[in-house]
Amino acid sequence: MEQWVVVSIIIAAYLAVTLTIGLLAGRKSTDTVAGYVAADRSFGLVAMYFVTGASVFSAFAFLGGPGWAYSRGAAAFYILAYGAIGMAPFYWMGPRAAALGRKFGFVTQAQLVVGRFPSRNLSAMIAVLSLVAFVPYVTVQMRGAGIVIEAVTDGHVPLWLGALIAYGIVIIYVLKSGAMAVGWTNTFQGIFMVVIAWTLGLYLPYRLYGGIGPMFEQIAEARPDLLVPPGLNASGDPWSWGAFSTLILVSAVGLMMWPHLFMKAFTAKDDDTLRRTVILFPTFQLFLIPVFLIGFAGVMFDGAPPSSDFILPYMILETHLPAVVVGLFCAGALSASMSTGDALLHASASVFVEDGVAKYKDLDERQQQRLMQVIVLVTGAIAYYFALDSESSLVLLLASAYGLISQLAPPVVAAMYWRRATTLGVVVGLLAGVATAFFFYMNPELKPYDMHEGILGLLVHIPVLIGASLLTKEQNADHIEEFFS
Amino acid sequence: MSLKTARILTGLYFVAMTYFVTWPGLLPFSRIRPMVLGLPFSLAWIASWIAGSVLVLYLLDIVEKRFRDAGSDG
Repeated sequence: MEQWVVVSIIIAAYLAVTLTIGLLAGRKSTDTVAGYVAADRSFGLVAMYFVTGASVFSAFAFLGGPGWAYSRGAAAFYILAYGAIGMAPFYWMGPRAAALGRKFGFVTQAQLVVGRFPSRNLSAMIAVLSLVAFVPYVTVQMRGAGIVIEAVTDGHVPLWLGALIAYGIVIIYVLKSGAMAVGWTNTFQGIFMVVIAWTLGLYLPYRLYGGIGPMFEQIAEARPDLLVPPGLNASGDPWSWGAFSTLILVSAVGLMMWPHLFMKAFTAKDDDTLRRTVILFPTFQLFLIPVFLIGFAGVMFDGAPPSSDFILPYMILETHLPAVVVGLFCAGALSASMSTGDALLHASASVFVEDGVAKYKDLDERQQQRLMQVIVLVTGAIAYYFALDSESSLVLLLASAYGLISQLAPPVVAAMYWRRATTLGVVVGLLAGVATAFFFYMNPELKPYDMHEGILGLLVHIPVLIGASLLTKEQNADHIEEFFS
Repeated sequence: MSLKTARILTGLYFVAMTYFVTWPGLLPFSRIRPMVLGLPFSLAWIASWIAGSVLVLYLLDIVEKRFRDAGSDG
């Protein structure tokens, strides 16, 4: 049998197992909005660990990370650095948000912000912002799935079809089973990816160079510029420290502001589960190192993939591994893509309906769920359109989304920790931050020190939030007391 | 250790980590040699800070848990 046929069979089997788990999971949750959005607040440590971990092991890290290691060297280290920093504050913020969620019945982060700063326009702004940031993120995941399938089937299954099949399955189980499906499929996929990543990440350097040390010795000899941060930029020239450092900062700030992650505070069974998830989270960051090694293994390898995002499947194919291994690897990469994509689609629908539409129109539970399912389809379709069209690299797509999502941090922190913050202050701050980030995104040549537009946005956002809050009338003392007690 | 001390120390660790994995704190460690476990020094340096953060959060949790069990939230 030809290799690509064997590979396709393994992928098909893998997809079937994922679909089954996803559909079975839904039978465990109640048929309510709280069930669909927050899995009835029932996730234990294992599910929580893999649900958050899956966000690290996305197509972005699994394909984009090695792609960067291969073409831009040490620039890729930023992906390792930010996770631990970004997650740590959640040790305290998570349980606090969870307590507020239980007290007031919040299931999204906009509900938390608006619970403190009552304004349906603010809620709608957060919903739109989240959705706009989600689309490039989902696009990254779909494109990743398509890339892998196209590469390992020798083009017999092209990118458009691969992405369509993988995400068709994701959409089916997200529609059917909601948060519960995301939790259970991520656990299965998480274990799968970690095993695959370590096996191949350690094996390839040995096979090609006789070990990790010898591999880096060879790179240090031939391409020392690749091994020293901040690495190289997209055109192969030395990258700027400003861009490297602020990309770490904006990713750290933005990480927990992603609705699909923040909302995990409302999905967790209890506070200890949340705290332990935070403690263990950086281990996922370490699991990424072998994946990067695969990218580095490509540096001294003869021949080059069509684009750096293809380096991982390219190395797997060019080193003539058995078809079964290629198939398993491919399933691992699909796991990475799908386990992030499902959470994203699910969260975007929850946010859009709960925080956007439901604020302006009275909907009963059934209508809300129905509408969420429509939004899953619409977001999926938009992302799919961009996935086929996209010219830019996976990492760059996502980096731009972080500029937007990081602007949610000041409102969320102010809602939970700053009594003197006012609704007007938060609204004006958010508008100023988003406008600034957008301006520098459109005019990158104006960025001071090559800083990330999200950080520049925050530099305007935070002073405006504080200033405008202090200039406006304090919130009603009873309201604040209720929120802080 | 008091809850407050544990929280301040944890905070300091993450501030230090942020400093040492970005400009300018990373500058002196942004080099290839000595290699550690076969990895370039800069990569091993960043990985050590990540591994350290698991330990620091774990220790913090021990202290926090003791105070929660005692019934005060600090």
